[in-house]
Amino acid sequence: MRGARIGTLLLLGCCIGGSALADAKVLEEGARKDGELTWYVSQVNGVTAEAAGNAFTDLYPGVKVNVVRITTQVAYQRVRQELRNKAVVCDVLSTTDIAQYSALKKEGELAKVAPANAAGLSAAFQNFDPDGYYYPTFAGEVVIAYNTEKVKPEEAPKNWRDLLEPNWNGKLALGHPGFSGYAGNWVVLMRRLYSWDYFETLEKNDPLVTRSIIDTVTYLNSGERWVAVSPSASLLESRDKGNPVGIVYPTDGAVLMIAPSAVLAKAPHPNAARLFMNFLVGPEFAKIAVKSRGESIRSDVPSLPGVKTVDQIKTIRASEKESIEDLPKVIEDWRDTFGG
Amino acid sequence: MIDITQRQELSAKTHKRRTSLKRRLQHFEPSLIVFLIVAAVLVFLVVNPLARLVITSLQTGDGAAWTLGNYVAAYNRERYLQALVNSLMLGGAVSALCILFAVPIAWGVSRTDMPLKGTVRVLVLGAFITPPYLGAIAWILLAGPNAGWLNQLFVAVTGAEEGLFDIYSFPGLIFIIAIYSFPYLFIFTSAALEVVSSELEDAANILGAGTLRTTLRVTLPMVLPAILGGVVVTFLEAIALFGSPALIAVPARINVVTTQLWQFFGTPARPEVAAAYAMPLLVVTIALFAWQRSMMRRKGFVALTGKGGERRILALGPWRWALLGYALVVLSLSVVLPYAVLAQAAFTKAWGRGLSLDNFTLDNFHYILFEHHMARQSVFNSFTYAAATACLAIAIALFIAFIAVRRMVPFARVLSFLCMAPFVIPGIVLAIGFYAAYASPPLSLYGTAWILILAFTTRFLPIAYANAEAAVRSLNPEMEEAVRILGGSRLTALRRVTAPLLKSSLIGAWLLVFIPATRELSAAIFLYGPETRTMSVMLFDMSEEGNFEHLAALGFLLLAASVVLVGLGYRFLGRDFMLRRG
Repeated sequence: MRGARIGTLLLLGCCIGGSALADAKVLEEGARKDGELTWYVSQVNGVTAEAAGNAFTDLYPGVKVNVVRITTQVAYQRVRQELRNKAVVCDVLSTTDIAQYSALKKEGELAKVAPANAAGLSAAFQNFDPDGYYYPTFAGEVVIAYNTEKVKPEEAPKNWRDLLEPNWNGKLALGHPGFSGYAGNWVVLMRRLYSWDYFETLEKNDPLVTRSIIDTVTYLNSGERWVAVSPSASLLESRDKGNPVGIVYPTDGAVLMIAPSAVLAKAPHPNAARLFMNFLVGPEFAKIAVKSRGESIRSDVPSLPGVKTVDQIKTIRASEKESIEDLPKVIEDWRDTFGG
Repeated sequence: MIDITQRQELSAKTHKRRTSLKRRLQHFEPSLIVFLIVAAVLVFLVVNPLARLVITSLQTGDGAAWTLGNYVAAYNRERYLQALVNSLMLGGAVSALCILFAVPIAWGVSRTDMPLKGTVRVLVLGAFITPPYLGAIAWILLAGPNAGWLNQLFVAVTGAEEGLFDIYSFPGLIFIIAIYSFPYLFIFTSAALEVVSSELEDAANILGAGTLRTTLRVTLPMVLPAILGGVVVTFLEAIALFGSPALIAVPARINVVTTQLWQFFGTPARPEVAAAYAMPLLVVTIALFAWQRSMMRRKGFVALTGKGGERRILALGPWRWALLGYALVVLSLSVVLPYAVLAQAAFTKAWGRGLSLDNFTLDNFHYILFEHHMARQSVFNSFTYAAATACLAIAIALFIAFIAVRRMVPFARVLSFLCMAPFVIPGIVLAIGFYAAYASPPLSLYGTAWILILAFTTRFLPIAYANAEAAVRSLNPEMEEAVRILGGSRLTALRRVTAPLLKSSLIGAWLLVFIPATRELSAAIFLYGPETRTMSVMLFDMSEEGNFEHLAALGFLLLAASVVLVGLGYRFLGRDFMLRRG
């Protein structure tokens, strides 16, 4: 409640035209009083998430970030549990499944925020939620990945249907839609493009199914699997570290993921949460995200060389409606088809 | 005061115990207060969470109405039933494999002249203190079908196209659980073998039976109750584990009860269906215990009195080397190989690149200890929660054991039953009950250390109680009475006689609670908050990103800390403190 009131005050402050600098000061002071915040994050890997938490504390000494890096669906499961039991612990939620945000917003569980840094987002990422409840904080693609020691570039799959070839039997790794938001979106889109038959056939190739989609890259690194459906950021980061992995942007479209973040309405540390939200859409976090080979969502932070941007490749994206309506269904169907 | 209690103790011994509650209320006695306090503690820890679980399973999601719909929802899908069948098959297969692993080694260590017994015992202990999920991760590196060490070796040696082992399979899952569950069976079996006297074996020998025949027809049947007890424990362990199935069965696309339970908490969360789904697990466990008890009652195992008789070591001749070889193979699978591969991962920049000087690094330890904001804290959390759990569980158990054994209050047997009851509740089910009971206001324990400590205390109360009761039973009240007769106070008796006598068995019991509590995962995964993450939860979260180098380093810290503690246990209690049955 107190948070909501301060938030409203801040918003009012902006509208009346009070100095933005003064508002920032007030928010910072409030955040220091809060002392800490809890961040459930699945958009980036654990090392990057920890680095972001440390960078925030360096920027605002005295405000600690409790980084909880978990998969998208597990993060949501915890938030739901907390809401249900009226014991909210999470302040800021950063997952990859937009349906979660739209559901929470509808139920009034998200705080309306106006981070000053949002003004610097690239045009494509502006007005993500016109009502200002959630903002994009990370962008990347789901792509085809392969181990370059086991598979020659010319033999690597070129499009999603190539994964059905029997020569990949026992050599594939996929993320689990019941855990990973990236995997969930990928499944929704493959179903749209090729119907559920795609997965019936894919299952016959005996794929390994990881909880986090990031894990698929580990299995490629070690040569345990040869071809995978992977997130571009982790894959490129691994490639640049010297691991034998290659990337294919599928001709039928890489799955574009724009991952949002939001402050919970009942966040126990409302000021710290809002300050952190401002940090997440700001240049500091964008630099960290870009370093982990994410695509830049800000015009003032360039993507790393070697990271292709949306305008350079063909992408496909699940609509909000698809995410909301189809995702729960495909998770069930997935479990029926794949087991586990 | 003293007189009353004394008289009551006497009366408890001589008269019938069943005094009506009404009369007790009329002649108000302090024992009633004691009983009520103890009962309240047990209601809080055991009865309420379990009752909540049952009630939740019978109510609609919003708790507004009674329904059986949850049971329908929990069993109307083939997939859900399949998970149940898979779990039962898993439990059965794991138990069978554990017999194969544990019984020969236990027999070798307890009854034969097998060499290197000390080493074998230490390695079994090593398997006992290794968290199953850490072992599972090591085995992913060892037996991943394409890149696992063992498969690469196999391909290099034989020139075969494909590796031999596939850890991501149902047999793989059985194997990985069995190699970390068999120490339970080993402990039970070797403890029993050590108290069986050789007289019956001698008789068999005189009547012309050979060594093998004697062992199979005389020795082993005599310790059958112990083996059955161990089988029940390994079976329950196998069907209640969450970590290993999440690591092996999810990638291998096999559904078991615990991963299915976890799914019911996904979106949309249906805890009421989860509660209904958990009920057969409880029924299975209770049925198993009933079966074990009836087996033991039917046959009179008088040989297990532990009294008299001489125990001789059986000379196996050259076969002793074969037996040692077998023991070492089993223990290499559960301890030596996994820790070798984890060490390789913990000290390298990229484990896939193998062993070389330029790949060596200490950065993983540096990251875990100094850069990761929670890892160090999680080490601290695990050990403090486990210590608090062990103290709490032992204190409650000792108190109840004392008043139950000495029959100082009415309904003492109810109290001891309640202490043992949590044994039949799998950790994940217990966590669901605790969550339902104490996460919400008024107590709002979610996210606090207390909900973890209390859940752990309940979970390990049976271990504490079994040990405390055995310890108290071994005390002869006459020793205390001697102090009293000589003019010492009750307190003096307690401090100078009872406490010293109980000390070593209590330290042993404390460690038996402490060690499993440091690695508890299945309850913790539901109940942790951002600042109360334990090492097991951290390891589990790291595993899903395949961050094996950091994870292995954290696993090594856990191992190092456990080794220090076990070392201390050895020092205080002699070297086989943990391999003795309480």
